[in-house]
Amino acid sequence: MNKVLITGLGAISPLGADSRSTFAGALSGRSAICAAPAEIGKWLPQVLVAPAAAEPEPLLDRKYAGIDRATQFALVATREAMSAAGIAAAPEDSRRFGVFAGIGFGGAHSIDALYSRFYQTLLDPALAHKNPTIMHPLTVPRMMSNAAAALVSMGYGLHGPSNTYSVACASSAVAIGEAFRAIRHGYLDAAIVLGTEAMLTPGTMIAWNALRVMAKPDPLDPASSCRPFSRSRTGFVLGEGAAALVLESEARASRRQAKVVAELSAYGCSSDAEHLTAPSVAEQVNAMQQALDMAGLSPAQVQYLNAHGTATDAGDVVETQSIRKVFGDAADRLMVSSTKSMHGHLIGASGILEFMISLMALQSGSVPPTAYLDDPDPRCDLDFVPRVARHACPIDAVMSNSFAFGGSNVSLLARRYAA
Amino acid sequence: MLDIGRSSVTHMLEDLIKNYLVTNKQVDPAKFDLPSLQVADLGLDSLDMVEMLFEIEDQCGFQLPDPMRYMQMSFADMVANIESAIREHFNGELPELAFAKAEA
Repeated sequence: MNKVLITGLGAISPLGADSRSTFAGALSGRSAICAAPAEIGKWLPQVLVAPAAAEPEPLLDRKYAGIDRATQFALVATREAMSAAGIAAAPEDSRRFGVFAGIGFGGAHSIDALYSRFYQTLLDPALAHKNPTIMHPLTVPRMMSNAAAALVSMGYGLHGPSNTYSVACASSAVAIGEAFRAIRHGYLDAAIVLGTEAMLTPGTMIAWNALRVMAKPDPLDPASSCRPFSRSRTGFVLGEGAAALVLESEARASRRQAKVVAELSAYGCSSDAEHLTAPSVAEQVNAMQQALDMAGLSPAQVQYLNAHGTATDAGDVVETQSIRKVFGDAADRLMVSSTKSMHGHLIGASGILEFMISLMALQSGSVPPTAYLDDPDPRCDLDFVPRVARHACPIDAVMSNSFAFGGSNVSLLARRYAA
Repeated sequence: MLDIGRSSVTHMLEDLIKNYLVTNKQVDPAKFDLPSLQVADLGLDSLDMVEMLFEIEDQCGFQLPDPMRYMQMSFADMVANIESAIREHFNGELPELAFAKAEA
């Protein structure tokens, strides 16, 4: 089996327009959460969002104007990761190079725009001479869930598989895991993995609002409204953006003397098979235990865990119990944080964004906090790195959890790489 | 409704299409100097063709049928054909199109 190495990182997130500024934002303990824009706020005045730190379209070539916003984010993050890895388009081994994408709600902006245009044309008397069904011919290729994977594969001339995983909040964590397996078992030598999400649209926000999981705005400081593991938590805030990773077999990376970020050492995954939204201790434990076993690590050898930590009562308490069960006595020495308190919940992109933040913690020894955690829920009794980042921490291995609606659980594990 | 003379309408449609193709599909503007220019020589695939037609459909509010038939025409015939389709759709008249307004 091949060792799998991470050789490039990229992001565009609510905390920053690239990976470095995203990680700096995560260490700052300040969130990017704010009131929703007027088109959403007029219907849902309580709803908060975590918009991306930069508009993606101006960062891209003109030919990408008009494509779905999620695809634009994906292209920005991918470009940073590929360039950081020192990989140009059309690599010689392009048939051994795959694209693995994760997205929860593909084409949300394009679909919202389609309905909005249809009904506006239908209902506006000034547009009575127009047939409301006249739509842009690329509406379908824009809204399809694999749009990002397709454009990345075309843009970089990668002829390996270009697969898209849609597993709600675990989408891009699954994409990382499946790319990891493909390289580990010799089906591929390299992969670009991306996770993206852009659904801060009126239609989608109305749907999320109906699920009653959204955080209520803190009256004094709206930015502090998402408070995972806190007694005063009220739910999560939807964010948007993308992150990307380049994975390579150890042989490929060493052949071209690539700079290595870390070793991707394990992927655990499981399904609750129980409830649409309620989490399960048994299967979260199963996913985390698989990851530890595959990596051959004992719980005490992992120093930092980026929690799924959605700031819902059920989610936070169950995850705390699961971590305690897997880590045992070592749980009290494990630093755990939920960076969703700052970048919000990026759904399909959350797994890869949080894994990337974990990798940067591994590289730098700086651990991002769980922001705004000044009143911990007594049922959540781990070291959640409250409010303030920690620096100069010795870290050899990190874990990142993604637990999806639908009951899919993923735990990824990375460790310091020594050639 | 605007009543614009045939030649100026043809001109506007032609400019709309030319500008779109030069700006978005990297067609060499010099190609349009050739009076016998064929649509097939523009290097468009079927997706490019429907994207180009959408620029007109979006403003006229109806769909131009059978897009691939234009591939067999000269550029001038295609423009004339599109113009007559628009006139036919609006009973011989032309709607107040955004491109007509901008140029009128």
